[in-house]
Amino acid sequence: MELRIGWLYPTLMSTYGDRGNVITLQRRCQWRNIPVKIIPLEQQTEIDAFNEVDLIVGGGAQDRQQEIVMRDLKGAKADAISTRIETGVPGVFTCGSPQLLGHYYEPALGHRIEGLGILDLVSKHPGPDAKRCIGNVVFEITASPLASDLKTRFGESPVVIGFENHGGRTYLGQVSPLGKVIQGYGNNGEDGYEGAFYRHAIATYSHGPLLPKNPFIADWLIQKALEVKYQTSINLTKLNDSLANQARQAMFKRLDLTSMANNP
Amino acid sequence: MQLFDRIRLGLAVGTAKTVTAIVKQLRLGAASVLPGEIARRLHPRLLPLLCEQVRQGVILVVGTNGKTTTSLLLSTILERQNAKIAHNITGANLINGLITTLLGNTNLFGQLNADYAILEVDENVLPLVLKDCRPRFIVGLNLFRDQLDRYGEVDTISRRWQQAIAPLPKTTTVILNADDPTLSYLGQNLPQKVLFFGLSETNLYLDEIPHAVDSIYCPNCGHSLDYQGVYLSHLGDFHCPSCGFEKSQPTLNSKDWPQILIGVYNKYNTLAAGLVAKEISIDIDTIFDTVKNFKAAFGRAEELTVNGKKIRILLSKNPVGMNETIRAVKDLQIQGKPSTTLVILNDRIPDGTDVSWIWDVDTEKLASIGGTLIVSGDRIYDMALRLQYSQNLANQSNLIVKEDLREAIETALESTEIGETLYILPTYSAMLEIREILTGRKIL
Ligand SMILES: [Zn+2]
Repeated sequence: MELRIGWLYPTLMSTYGDRGNVITLQRRCQWRNIPVKIIPLEQQTEIDAFNEVDLIVGGGAQDRQQEIVMRDLKGAKADAISTRIETGVPGVFTCGSPQLLGHYYEPALGHRIEGLGILDLVSKHPGPDAKRCIGNVVFEITASPLASDLKTRFGESPVVIGFENHGGRTYLGQVSPLGKVIQGYGNNGEDGYEGAFYRHAIATYSHGPLLPKNPFIADWLIQKALEVKYQTSINLTKLNDSLANQARQAMFKRLDLTSMANNP
Repeated sequence: MQLFDRIRLGLAVGTAKTVTAIVKQLRLGAASVLPGEIARRLHPRLLPLLCEQVRQGVILVVGTNGKTTTSLLLSTILERQNAKIAHNITGANLINGLITTLLGNTNLFGQLNADYAILEVDENVLPLVLKDCRPRFIVGLNLFRDQLDRYGEVDTISRRWQQAIAPLPKTTTVILNADDPTLSYLGQNLPQKVLFFGLSETNLYLDEIPHAVDSIYCPNCGHSLDYQGVYLSHLGDFHCPSCGFEKSQPTLNSKDWPQILIGVYNKYNTLAAGLVAKEISIDIDTIFDTVKNFKAAFGRAEELTVNGKKIRILLSKNPVGMNETIRAVKDLQIQGKPSTTLVILNDRIPDGTDVSWIWDVDTEKLASIGGTLIVSGDRIYDMALRLQYSQNLANQSNLIVKEDLREAIETALESTEIGETLYILPTYSAMLEIREILTGRKIL
């Protein structure tokens, strides 16, 4: 058994500690003695590598870097990512990378950039002087079947704690939102939705280290990746997440949300 | 200055000074911001009226890392020429803090007594300051990804700086870091006199580009830059294979220069302050002599002794800074000896409210030292989690979590042997707390 984690453009798209998600997946595999490989998917990476990944991680970028990525992620590379996601390979796309999966992104300055069109959503930056959406974000995962899946596995409806910092606003089409905002801005600060969920791909503005403090998502991704790859049901051994739980409790308490504090 | 201005200025200054006295009397703090705010309300043109009175000119110091150390070195060099300096040493680097500092050097009639004003300015506030102030020098140290939650993106800041500096008169000299692509590019596109400082020492290249790197893309055309070598984060010897943009030529040869304190980042701070001093025509022997005898500002590689144990406080407020302090801890670590490191993570306004950056720090290198790691601060569990994920099962450091800062320090001191050094890695506000506990003295 081996898990190959494809990391989208680590030198271009790793802005706010996004690496935390890769480290979390890697360590949680290592701690369970599941062999794991991190495969950086860069501009110069051969297409074969894109086709071989079992799990995809994408982070955020500044506008300039985002443009470079979106120009590079065309043709065979774009097809490879689309095919992987369509066949059920799980992914976690945080911060700026959901914009990449949508139809297009309109940056603060310059022209509209076409995205992969995998998720039915569009993103727009309202201009260089518009207020950024910044702060702690808390949302409940509502997307089906992810929400019920996590609930059966962990017995509670999963509440995600993160931090958002984005200039762009995202508007969903037919794709299902990932969750409902409890605190923070979410996709656009207007409709109360946060992120998007499609096949086994999780997209969210909750940037940087999403997984360390929400380890149930990390484990869901690992489990799904192995199940899709080996076509058999997988049971992961439980890890000691007491530090993660304490970090969650501390933030729930600070945000005055102790009533919904849970550690699935 | 017109009579009316002078009367209003006197009134504003008088009120501000009264406030300062009251604040100090009531022990509300060191009064580093409030008087400035009050005086500015009484006289909106206060900052320009104060700035224009500085006899030899205003020197603005901007950049993510190194403002305080560079300013302090420059101020020490100038003081040796018997110059009178106004410097916002407490790190109050927003407009009100600058005004408060200048007011501190002003008499009741609004007359300012200073040869130079060395003002550390917040990256985001620079354009605002430049509306009111015609500096003699602007020193740009570096632009790292610091507190992006407040500032937005590096490109955006650089664009705002360009727009704010370009219209200034030609009497302003701009001193920039040649090794920082964003600043090199900025300098190549300014109409003012621009001088660069930078390193030319290939023996100091890092083995690999660290993870916490922001801008390795050409600021001119967006193509990825080719690095012959990297000194620190994205600072290095670079050129663009696509459009030909390259590192600007430094004025000084860094090989000929001594440096203050430890670490590559202090080499940059030394060169920046040294270049300004040289431009003011201070002789090179005086500069070198001051550099060699320089003592650290609080919390910047500062050393204290408590109960026969040495404590070294290494400010760690962003990925680049913390990677450098970890490098310093490793370098200073005597082989095989047990070590104790206390890491304190706060997320208050001066620290930045987003602590995601700790995942960009190579804390694996800290964990690999294998000593005792003690964690504290407002975001104690986030830091503990980062350290937990820095270790594989084979190599476990002793990780201790102490919510109470005093207890954390006591535990850290207990686990440090006599004659050994305890390393403390705090964020900015944590550093002030640490200082207060260790010295019984409040800084801000
Ligand atoms: Zn170029």
